[in-house]
Amino acid sequence: MTHRIPPPPGTMSRRGLLRLGGGVGAAALLGGALSGCGRAASAEPVTSGSVNLAFWTHDQAYVDFFETAAANAEAAGDSPFRWHLAPTRAGAADVVTKTIAQAIAGRGTPDVAGLEIGAFPRFLRGEIAAELLEPLEGHIDADVRDDLLPSRTAPFTKDGHLYALDSDAPLVVYYYREPEFARVGLPTDLATWDELAEAGRRAHERHGVAIGAVAVGSDLGQVVQIFDMLLMQSGGRLFDEDGTLTIETPEAERALAFLVRGVREGFITTVSDFYGPGMQAALKSGELIGQWMATWYKIYGLMPNVPEQSGQWRIRPLPVFSDGGSRTSFTGGTGFAALTGKRNTLAGVELVTSAYLTPAEQIRRFVDLGYLPTRRSVFDDPQLLEIEDEYCGGQRMFEVYREVVDEAPVFYLSADKPILDTVLSGHLLRAYHGDSSPAEALRNAAEDFRGQTRNHD
Amino acid sequence: MTTLQATPPARRRRQLAPYAFIAPFYVLYALFMVVPIGAAVYLSMTDWVGLGTPEFVGLRNFADLARDTSFHKALGNSLIFVLVSLFIIVPAALLIAQALNTRGLRARDLFRVTFFLPMVISPIVIALVYSLVFDRQYGLLNSVLRALFGAGNTDWLGDPTMAKVSVSFVLLWRWVGYLTIFFLAALQAVPRERYEAAELDGAGVLRTFSAVTLPAIRPVTAFVVVTSFIGSAQLFDEPYLITGGGPGEETLTVAMFVYRSAFERQQFGYAAAAGLVLFVIVFGVSQILNRLFSIGRIS
Repeated sequence: MTHRIPPPPGTMSRRGLLRLGGGVGAAALLGGALSGCGRAASAEPVTSGSVNLAFWTHDQAYVDFFETAAANAEAAGDSPFRWHLAPTRAGAADVVTKTIAQAIAGRGTPDVAGLEIGAFPRFLRGEIAAELLEPLEGHIDADVRDDLLPSRTAPFTKDGHLYALDSDAPLVVYYYREPEFARVGLPTDLATWDELAEAGRRAHERHGVAIGAVAVGSDLGQVVQIFDMLLMQSGGRLFDEDGTLTIETPEAERALAFLVRGVREGFITTVSDFYGPGMQAALKSGELIGQWMATWYKIYGLMPNVPEQSGQWRIRPLPVFSDGGSRTSFTGGTGFAALTGKRNTLAGVELVTSAYLTPAEQIRRFVDLGYLPTRRSVFDDPQLLEIEDEYCGGQRMFEVYREVVDEAPVFYLSADKPILDTVLSGHLLRAYHGDSSPAEALRNAAEDFRGQTRNHD
Repeated sequence: MTTLQATPPARRRRQLAPYAFIAPFYVLYALFMVVPIGAAVYLSMTDWVGLGTPEFVGLRNFADLARDTSFHKALGNSLIFVLVSLFIIVPAALLIAQALNTRGLRARDLFRVTFFLPMVISPIVIALVYSLVFDRQYGLLNSVLRALFGAGNTDWLGDPTMAKVSVSFVLLWRWVGYLTIFFLAALQAVPRERYEAAELDGAGVLRTFSAVTLPAIRPVTAFVVVTSFIGSAQLFDEPYLITGGGPGEETLTVAMFVYRSAFERQQFGYAAAAGLVLFVIVFGVSQILNRLFSIGRIS
């Protein structure tokens, strides 16, 4: 039998020490929680003069563009500010993660951040956008606001507030490799997807080529993106304006049925990564000779992957679905926002609006970066219409863009878009494999989506 | 005769001194263990998007987890990877170690380095390499299969079953060498006399292995099994980088579920609840394994 010897008075038992540790932990926890809830007091806002702006983006090209825009505005004497950018580059998702993390910490947030459209839905959850981002609509003249493409402001708008200005109007067009189309006897002016599919099927049987590709890899957003482009083109969309899921529609079924048919019959191939080795191999091998994609794909997809095919590619409006829809769609985009409640908020807003809203800068943005204007009036600029693109065999690409811009669909983001990417991508792949029909895949995806969003509205 | 008696303050200081010496550990333990666990427990009972004040929701997150098919899928997938780890990777490591421990084996160090090499390669590089290997259309594996057998159209990363097989294969490739090092060290410490005695008793290879080798390396086996269980239950890197949890959610693990909820969906309360469930499971099973192997109770 053992007897526990009581500790001498005034000493601390092991249990007491553990209790003390627990108490210290609880106190620290409470302190941490309180500091997490606290907000850094905002200092007097800077309204003019020299200002250092913390500028976060995922792409160095934006840094270069904004630095030049700042210099241009300063030279023109249009702004009360003289900006000096302190750029930080991170992955597109990391810019959002770090911005929110710094906001929780109460300091170290950027003054201006480039929010890639795939990551932006995280700002739509709860009140994050309202708490972190400066509403821009009050800083934009009414005539300019009216000139902005609604399709490019809607995704960055919540509760009537515009929180970011898009860098691009990434219209979706059909890229095709002209000499290869001629070699395999594919006409380049077929009006409908059905006609192109039939011709593509024959070309695939005879020559093993594909007129498009779908993503089937680990990037779930990419898997959905390829479907989403055709969904919007056919007149449907993933979410309504109020965030309601809208994939159980004839338009969605039509778009998916086309993709499933293409994969099953071989005129649409599958790649694991649209921006990686899988796509590069498909393009280089000559198997993939066409693709519906956004305007930026020439610069970020084709030119780096197949520079040797320079001069062979062309673009045209998308063939239409027989039952309706438009000749274009949208995918991608990056909105630039100013963080609210900071000393440099006004300076950040002024930089974004100076760089992104003047016609001169919108033209320069296309020339330098290949991003389309977001003001409708700029699409009629003669300077842009005359530009001949070397990679696309001297084609005046802007003529195509202007031809279809007014058909571009409006689409909306939802805070639940990441959830949809997860559930829909799996069902899309099952449909491609033939494990479920397009209607079943969409119905099951909608059911899974509702299950996962049940209590997180 | 006089006795030197310490004054009360001095005595008190002496009594407190030992605690002062061990205080740094407890302070750090409180800060980096108690606080995060306490915060996770509190967060698990809130609805919080990351900013603003968390809204207390009681046990609702746990009730949602109980009904969430996605979480069930993640639990099932994690279980599969745990089983792969315990019943394929650990035995494979033991067999390789046994082979490397063979007397007279040449280039033993070369083999050891070769097996260990995957462990020191960045997971990013591994993901890149295996995405090239497993690509259905243009991957190395299917190309080799086509060249050898005329057929190779397996969707290694897109088919639900094959995706699990592919991730399991990468786990095997990456971890088996690391675990082999532990087993090899244990095998080399087994006294040679025991094998000689078994040989004199007429024991065969299997009998020697089960009666001499396994008991002798039991402590190391216990360590390897428990750490492999904990590591595979919290698996994140390989499925995240190679399949992204896909196709659909077929390779989604609980750790990925937690990450996805918190950092892709801004559902920090829900993520904390899932993390807590994972913690309880890992802790509970680890305790059972500790008892099974009598860790710390036998010399």
